[in-house]
Amino acid sequence: MSSQTVAPRAGPVTGLYPALPAEERSGSRGMALPRLPAVLASSSAGPTRMSLFGSTSGFGTGGTSMFGSTTADNHNPMKDIEVTSPPDDSISCLAFSPPTLPGNFLIAGSWANDVRCWEVQDNGQTIPKAQQMHTGPVLDGCWSDDGSKVFTASCDKTAKMWDLNSNQAIQIAQHDAPVKTIHWIKAPNYSCVMTGSWDKTLKFWDTRSPTPMMTLQLPERCYCADVVHPMAAVATAERGLIVYQLENQPSEFRRIESPLKHQHRCVAIFKDKVNKPTGFALGSIEGRVAIHYINPPNPAKDNFTFKCHRSNGTNTSAPQDIYAVNGIAFHPVHGTLATVGSDGRFSFWDKDARTKLKTSEQLDQPISACCFNHNGNIFAYASSYDWSKGHEFYNPQKKNYIFLRNAAEELKPRNKK
Amino acid sequence: MTICQFFLQGRCRFGDRCWNEHPRGGGGRPHSAGPVRGAGGGWGAASQRYANVIQPPIFKHSTWGGSGDGGGFSGASDFGSPGNKSAVFSQNRFSALSSAHPADGFSDEEQRLLDCVAKDMATWESSGQWMFSCYSPEAGKPNVSGFREFSAEEVRLEYYNCSANNNTENYINSVNQLVQEWRNRLQELKALNASGKESLLSQLKNAVTQPLPSLGFGGQQASSFGFPSFPVSSSSSAASFSFKANPSVPPGNAAAVGSSAAASNPPTFGVTSSPSVPNPVGSGNSSAPSAASFSFKTSGTTSGCGTSGLSGFGSSAAANSSSTAPLPVSATPSAATGTSQSGASSASAAQTAGASGHNVTSAPSAVPNGIASDKLYTPRSELTAEELEQFEAKRFTLGKIPLKPPPIDLLYL
Repeated sequence: MSSQTVAPRAGPVTGLYPALPAEERSGSRGMALPRLPAVLASSSAGPTRMSLFGSTSGFGTGGTSMFGSTTADNHNPMKDIEVTSPPDDSISCLAFSPPTLPGNFLIAGSWANDVRCWEVQDNGQTIPKAQQMHTGPVLDGCWSDDGSKVFTASCDKTAKMWDLNSNQAIQIAQHDAPVKTIHWIKAPNYSCVMTGSWDKTLKFWDTRSPTPMMTLQLPERCYCADVVHPMAAVATAERGLIVYQLENQPSEFRRIESPLKHQHRCVAIFKDKVNKPTGFALGSIEGRVAIHYINPPNPAKDNFTFKCHRSNGTNTSAPQDIYAVNGIAFHPVHGTLATVGSDGRFSFWDKDARTKLKTSEQLDQPISACCFNHNGNIFAYASSYDWSKGHEFYNPQKKNYIFLRNAAEELKPRNKK
Repeated sequence: MTICQFFLQGRCRFGDRCWNEHPRGGGGRPHSAGPVRGAGGGWGAASQRYANVIQPPIFKHSTWGGSGDGGGFSGASDFGSPGNKSAVFSQNRFSALSSAHPADGFSDEEQRLLDCVAKDMATWESSGQWMFSCYSPEAGKPNVSGFREFSAEEVRLEYYNCSANNNTENYINSVNQLVQEWRNRLQELKALNASGKESLLSQLKNAVTQPLPSLGFGGQQASSFGFPSFPVSSSSSAASFSFKANPSVPPGNAAAVGSSAAASNPPTFGVTSSPSVPNPVGSGNSSAPSAASFSFKTSGTTSGCGTSGLSGFGSSAAANSSSTAPLPVSATPSAATGTSQSGASSASAAQTAGASGHNVTSAPSAVPNGIASDKLYTPRSELTAEELEQFEAKRFTLGKIPLKPPPIDLLYL
């Protein structure tokens, strides 16, 4: 690694972490976030560059874990890389930086009212960079398209914009109830932040103005949303499901009858072979995911649901345990998807071949969030309690984890068409 | 003709398309998943190929007669569409008259739904899944009343707020009460008596009047809950009924509009046959009905925010939650055709919704009068001063949450 002079930061560094192994800061071009040396820039990173990353050589490569592998604890059965200095309470959201930023930066929002940012290096080392606080638990976070800002949504009914260059965060949105989802929309003729809240509204904000550009009414509380321009999908309480089109101006495109029988929990839009959003995957609390195309040639055949995150039900005599699907993420290159559930497992699926690619071992806590980085080489998942069994199972002392896994190989589609 | 052996076992995949004979005596079985699955027969065939890689439970359950579970359910998104229903009924049109039919007089379709509900309730109870969720037996159906919906995050936030105020007992009591409520409703649905079945079936078919009984049901419990953010479940349950499709409305009227506009679906969603209009929705051309007829567009396409226009659409959607009769009818073409037809049909519905949105403020006063048992709103005169004060306050106070529905003029429409 190169060792250039440390660039001074403009703002105060909040959230000092305990002493870590040697942090290296490369020279910057005025940004507080360091720029990685070109040799590690992942412009066309194939699996070979990541050969040291996420290998099965044990979880000591991150230089963080003090757990011996002889203990019986099952917090990392997949032997994935642990992120250093994880949040102190459950992680609600994970997001990787967009491709416009060199390198990989990960943000995580948590129920400890904070959102933290790490740099993830190619050898798997994670370096905490900064954090920001809200006055309530953070429920969602996303990056702007140029990677300079992070938007966070919180139970304190506000959303904030965190400028990473200056390490300052300002409030950009206000709702009447906790803000559950936040997404950055970059259209050819406008850009804005979309926030969905439990106050049953979807609001669009120009970050420079305190009043929303637009407010759309939802039939019920917003539970999850996803945006892939020019499409946005919002799932609400009472099995509501609405698709919006974002060209020129956000407008409701279609209300869709839910293909699922129970509460919607997470939604993720997928794209077709020419990179246009064409449908979404919707997960419920009942261990089931529905794949729904917006305009399929044959809806009866093309749309389907599949069961996941259930205890082994090969013998139908014993009742299954059914777990909620906490998050769905699509691999940006292969188009295959990952689901994470309250059972503490993650699974990879190929929706076109309608097969399961892999299921992980069971972690000792539910997996509450997941995401892929921009080129699909890294799969991050968070192991923390999701309240699926109520307050009795909440242990504030239990450590929360974020794991990183090499996703380049395992998510290749089953049949090359 | 030869008798169809699969039909006799109750599992013919072709339904009324089957080339073999389906004798009427065998049609009285409740296991009529066959005809419905016939429409998804293509998927069924494909699924055999993947049987060894998709989790086995899908196929195990499919032999249970569960069109509400496993393979049958997952096949078709237009599961509840009129096309499928006609397939069922054309096979069993006279099943009510046949002597092999169950004595309680429910048709196969209804019996299937009831079985589905009972089975789902049993699964829900034993599986340990999240309790505070809505439920519907089938994809196109509205939510079954009596289930309050909270996400895990909402419950967790309540806990955090309560423990910040050292009020965890309040939280625990509220949660226990909700759990009890859930269990009662679940037991009720697991073992329905005849009148219970009738009301459930009418609820599922006709989403209009049924929300009202749940007002009283939910309202009585609401006062003792420490969940100030969701004191009145009435509006939310009403909302769920009003925007869910009434599946018996034929899509015929929407199809007439939709067929001409089908080609002008926004091509940006990746599946299109129309190369003509580059910006069909955004530009507000009259050639793209899906754009022009959204109510906020008509008020001025060039204004950036269009909040006033949007509130027109927003109000019609919000009004969906308060009125019952007028809006669901206009909203159904969009929902019923959601999977197949173009945005034009939903847009035309939105237009009528938008237009009727302004009229709807007068309609609800008419609607509750037509409903004999319960009122949707309480006139101010009937409220005590304390209740009025609660409704006018920003938040409900614990222990003082009114049991009656709010007056209409306090609602934001």
